[in-house]
Amino acid sequence: MSAFDEFDQERQAIDSLLLQGYTVTGIFEDLDGAKVRFIRREPAGEPIELLLLTADARKHVTTLIFGGSKPAAPIETHT
Amino acid sequence: MADLSIDFAGIKSPNPFWLASAPPTNTGYQVQRAFEAGWGGAVWKTLGEPVINTSSRFAAVHFGGQRVAGFNNIELITDRPLEVNLKEIYETKKRFPNNTIIASLMVEPKQEKWHEIVKRVEAVGVDGLELNFGCPHGMAERGMGAASGQQPDLVQAQTTWVKEVATTPVIVKLTPNITDITVVARHAVKGGADAISLINTINSLAGVDIHSWNTIPNVGGQGAHGGYCGPAVKPIALSMVAECARDRAVDVPISGIGGISTWQDVVEFMLMGSTGIQVCTAVMHHGFRIVEEMIDGLNNYLDEKGLASVMELIGKSVPKYSNWGDLDLNYKVVARINEDNCINCNKCHIACEDASHQCIDMLTNAEGKAILQVREEDCVGCNLCSIVCPADGAIDMVALDSGAAPMTWNQRNQVISGLNGSYSEVEVG
Ligand SMILES: Cc1cc2nc3c(=O)[nH]c(=O)nc-3n(C[C@H](O)[C@H](O)[C@H](O)COP(=O)(O)O)c2cc1C
Repeated sequence: MSAFDEFDQERQAIDSLLLQGYTVTGIFEDLDGAKVRFIRREPAGEPIELLLLTADARKHVTTLIFGGSKPAAPIETHT
Repeated sequence: MADLSIDFAGIKSPNPFWLASAPPTNTGYQVQRAFEAGWGGAVWKTLGEPVINTSSRFAAVHFGGQRVAGFNNIELITDRPLEVNLKEIYETKKRFPNNTIIASLMVEPKQEKWHEIVKRVEAVGVDGLELNFGCPHGMAERGMGAASGQQPDLVQAQTTWVKEVATTPVIVKLTPNITDITVVARHAVKGGADAISLINTINSLAGVDIHSWNTIPNVGGQGAHGGYCGPAVKPIALSMVAECARDRAVDVPISGIGGISTWQDVVEFMLMGSTGIQVCTAVMHHGFRIVEEMIDGLNNYLDEKGLASVMELIGKSVPKYSNWGDLDLNYKVVARINEDNCINCNKCHIACEDASHQCIDMLTNAEGKAILQVREEDCVGCNLCSIVCPADGAIDMVALDSGAAPMTWNQRNQVISGLNGSYSEVEVG
């Protein structure tokens, strides 16, 4: 799989949780990557944890929080 | 035509081009010829107790067809008595009153030694003093040069002693053979330095002869470490100048030295915070007359930029130089190959495949022609392909708008710690 595809899978997982109303409540980084914790209050759901491996996904999730924005539209690619 | 004159810590010079303290400033004959050629100033070959030099003292590193990419020396300070030098300085200043003469000095780290030499040198009418705390070889073994320049407190103390008697501006010349040059620069400033100059030469051994097993250079089969300078050291010098320029505690003018050969190099050093510059190796390689092209080039550049004075360049790039943690992680460039200029040497493909992110494909286009194409979504924008590409205009690095707000590593860390902090509060509550 290309590096972009790896990132894209992780991004889609993040974006889909956010679109379902989850919010990020914690990011814990270690040697294995970033563990990102999501919770949803309404309707209440079990906390979900994603382990992000790619640098671009780790960047993406923090960019969304930093910019206070919604998930962006997918990036156009040339493939 | 723009005004090339500078005011360096109160020292007026007709232009920013000075010769560094080195063989080209050994005698009055040389310095006068340099002034005739157009050099604005000269830092005289370091004065002190005359030394004895070895025969066979220079070496060079030639690289990829370029002669003298780097230059190495094991020469010490002047080997001529002080009075002889002072007489020539006096005569040179009399003949060229508008040009700048700086006396470079090095004595043992003792107050009375510094007082004595400063008084004798200033008596002949120099425009300033440069304290040589940088020479990495020979003198260092005697407790001078880099040996004292590597001890910040000794730099401060010696600068203070000089300032006790000096009536002209005092420039402290720094050694690059140290972990953090700003530490020494700050101590020079604390000691009262009016300016700093950097860099002196970098510890080096030019090479080993694989046939005789002798070092290069060697003195009858025996070698010793020397000082490296010339084009190869420019990036090191420029970064050290930049570090000093952006350090608020180093609030004195900087004379930039190290690998300067062209007017473009001069502009770079001035943009990075140098008020003036000094040159040694390029003159040893090409002679005094390189200054003619430097003057013309700088003049044209300033005219093109619409600048009235060269002083307007000083430090303009310093705010653009910060810490890695303050760089925007969301800034994105990708490589684009221009088929019209590509010569299909495949160097970019090999570099990307073997040393980067494997995103340059070797394809065949509709007309059956071999082409190279970047998969932009996989390109991290490292620049390697454009660096190794031998064909001008074949690879452009193009900035893409990712649509994401700028975010630095430091900001990202703040986001994460803020998030985790509030999360644990929630958990606790
Ligand atoms: C052969 C030689 C002798 C030098 N002698 C001195 C010296 O006496 N005093 C001094 O401060 N620097 C001395 N230097 C260092 C230069 O002044 C300068 O700092 C260094 O060469 C870097 O500049 P460049 O890359 O333009 O050569 C010497 C350099 C060379 C190559």
